[in-house]
Amino acid sequence: MSSCYEWLVEFHQQNPHLLKALLAGTLVSTVCGVMGCFIVLRRSSFLADAVAHSMLAGVVCGYLFMKRVFHAEAHAPAMLIGAVLAGFFTVAMVTTVSRFSRVKEDALIGIMYTGVFAFGGMLLSLFSQDVHIDLYHFVVGQLLGVSNTDLWMMAVVVLSFVILSFRSLQLITFDRVMAASIGIPVLALDYMLTTCTSLVVVSGVHVVGVILVVGLLITPAGTAYLLCDRLTRMLPVAAFFGWTSFVFGYLISEKINVAPGSAVVVASAVQFLIVFLIAPRYGVTANWLRRRRAVPQQLVEDVLGCVLRSSDAVMPVGDVLSQVSGRDERVRKAIRWLQREEMAVIREGNVTLTESGVIEGRRLLRAHRLWETYLQHLGMPEDQLHQQAHLLEHVHDEEAVDYLDDKLGHPLQDPHGSEIPEDFVHLVPGAAVKAALLREGHCAEVVQLDGDARLTKLQVGMTIETGPREEDGAIWTFQLPDGEVVRLDHTTADEVQVRLLA
Amino acid sequence: MSIERNPQTETTQAAEPAAAIEVESLTVSYGAVPALLDVSLSVPAGELTGVIGPNGSGKSTLIKALLGFVRPDFGSVRLFGESIEKAKGRVAYVPQRGSVDWDFPVTVREVARMGRYGKAPWWKGLSREDQRVADEALEMVRMTPYADRQIGQLSGGQQQRVFMARAMAQGADILLLDEPFAGVDAATERAILEVLEDTKASGRTLLVVHHDLATAGEYFDTLILLKQRLFAYGQPADVLHPELLSEVYEGTLRVFADLAGDRTDRGAESTAAAEDGEGD
Repeated sequence: MSSCYEWLVEFHQQNPHLLKALLAGTLVSTVCGVMGCFIVLRRSSFLADAVAHSMLAGVVCGYLFMKRVFHAEAHAPAMLIGAVLAGFFTVAMVTTVSRFSRVKEDALIGIMYTGVFAFGGMLLSLFSQDVHIDLYHFVVGQLLGVSNTDLWMMAVVVLSFVILSFRSLQLITFDRVMAASIGIPVLALDYMLTTCTSLVVVSGVHVVGVILVVGLLITPAGTAYLLCDRLTRMLPVAAFFGWTSFVFGYLISEKINVAPGSAVVVASAVQFLIVFLIAPRYGVTANWLRRRRAVPQQLVEDVLGCVLRSSDAVMPVGDVLSQVSGRDERVRKAIRWLQREEMAVIREGNVTLTESGVIEGRRLLRAHRLWETYLQHLGMPEDQLHQQAHLLEHVHDEEAVDYLDDKLGHPLQDPHGSEIPEDFVHLVPGAAVKAALLREGHCAEVVQLDGDARLTKLQVGMTIETGPREEDGAIWTFQLPDGEVVRLDHTTADEVQVRLLA
Repeated sequence: MSIERNPQTETTQAAEPAAAIEVESLTVSYGAVPALLDVSLSVPAGELTGVIGPNGSGKSTLIKALLGFVRPDFGSVRLFGESIEKAKGRVAYVPQRGSVDWDFPVTVREVARMGRYGKAPWWKGLSREDQRVADEALEMVRMTPYADRQIGQLSGGQQQRVFMARAMAQGADILLLDEPFAGVDAATERAILEVLEDTKASGRTLLVVHHDLATAGEYFDTLILLKQRLFAYGQPADVLHPELLSEVYEGTLRVFADLAGDRTDRGAESTAAAEDGEGD
């Protein structure tokens, strides 16, 4: 411990500026990280950039004012105040003008800040005898003789504002309407946030220069956003990343002798990319792994269909692996997924479908066989039917399947002669359905008759029993209570609403 | 509505509980054209009411007026017999799904707690009591198991429930919902409807801005048909009257009818689609 302290003291004696710069940079970069969170979440990065640029006019005005009125050279506080005012002016211009013009906000930001920045540049060259500001430093940093006391003031003001009014800031960032409806002064807080942003940007320009200050503000916040699911954590994490990017960048710049501002921003960008790669939830690697691990729905459906077509919906695991196309371990994964979803169990090496598994499987089978019938209807060669339908059966949205069923006239069999499962989604006891959905043997009560159906012998309240279809399935037959049989075509059968009896 | 009637209303209010939402002769304008003109209605407590009308018909102005965001040119809004300023805590706004940033770093529990933000001084943390109320609200909408999830990691129905919990945590008896069904799939639509009905069962009054005429009759107890003026207010069967609708929607509906009849006119179809999609 003491040796560490001695080392620090010695280090400080050897490089007196370095330690001071480290302290200043630490302060600025951590506060930048915190404010950056709000900037990132409010999507106002461009506005922050605008504030940074417009500073120039404010700095020159502050300089000129103190020099002309008080004959003070390079009065730092005046330049600071000028910078904050200029930033504020730019934001106020953008918000005011956007209210009255059709030009959208991003364009307005561009118009206003370049205007203010250029005005500052003009002043600078007009009064080049009076104002000794090096534009180069404005661009790359180390511009103002900002004292550490000024920086401390800035940090305390900004951080205490954020901490004290955290809840209100969170709410106006997340849901402005709700915030206003419970009486939070949204506009006043907006202006406070703008002021704080200006303060932070002004100090950030001191460290890295006007072009890079946005990087110092938003990169650490963006990095933290990849890792955090709540704002209360995102703020300290962003502050931490701001600090680390400064420390790494600064040490590197000392080591290889490059501009510190550039090194700091490069360090934070590299940091962002690394986190982007390895972040556990929102990183690319995690995303890729998740996609790899996920069981494709298609494979699951293939397994279901395969087991269902076997007798009693039971099939040895080995057979499933050999019959379903796909790598074995992926098919196993699909089986495990079915187990987790309680659609299948494994008993003595056999895959057995549960009740819900059978229902799901029959739903898919119905889709598959309807697609086959549809393809045949379109004139597709027999030998291609199965393969094409195998791809299409994964389109098994309820409405799509119902449409096919209706268009094909509710077929009973597919082209290979296998039975097409009935529409058990709608065809449940007690539910009102069209009579066309009924299959042989179903008993139902007539509840409504429309159109031509009213001209038949059917009457509301009658109990009917469905007989076999005639003429290749085109004619529905129903037996009335008195034994008489009514024959209906598809259109008329659709006009009869019935309630299925158990 | 003349002033002489006021004493009479007060005596009736004394006899029976005041209506949840009482709007009288409300006129709100943004310039020469009024957004709302002479709207009077009275929504009893515990009802699920839909607000329908074409785009720009003043639906959201009505919501804004109930929240106290716009100053009426004339007329009054009373919630449970009190002025909006007094009843501020009793009404909550549930935002449109599209306007929420679902990537925002905030958890389910935190959103529910936002409902209590108005109760505590701004510089202080939430009290235990406030936290308990928020947790109870989550429990009521059966979202406690998901309390620590980020809001983007929920299904559509669950997301709606979180915002209902926030409204309940506010202690609100009146919930104003802005197009909860806009841009959701059929399954989510059913899930959200269930949430609305649960909320209604808990005795709260819901006023829902709705865009889809096809489902309006099925989803709501009563309907408000607006186009600046109040065209109809009552049972869906009375409000969804073809003549009334064609008057309010000025021909747009005839296009719908044409569509149902034959599908040959592709031009009409695209117009109808555009009309339908605009509010999303």
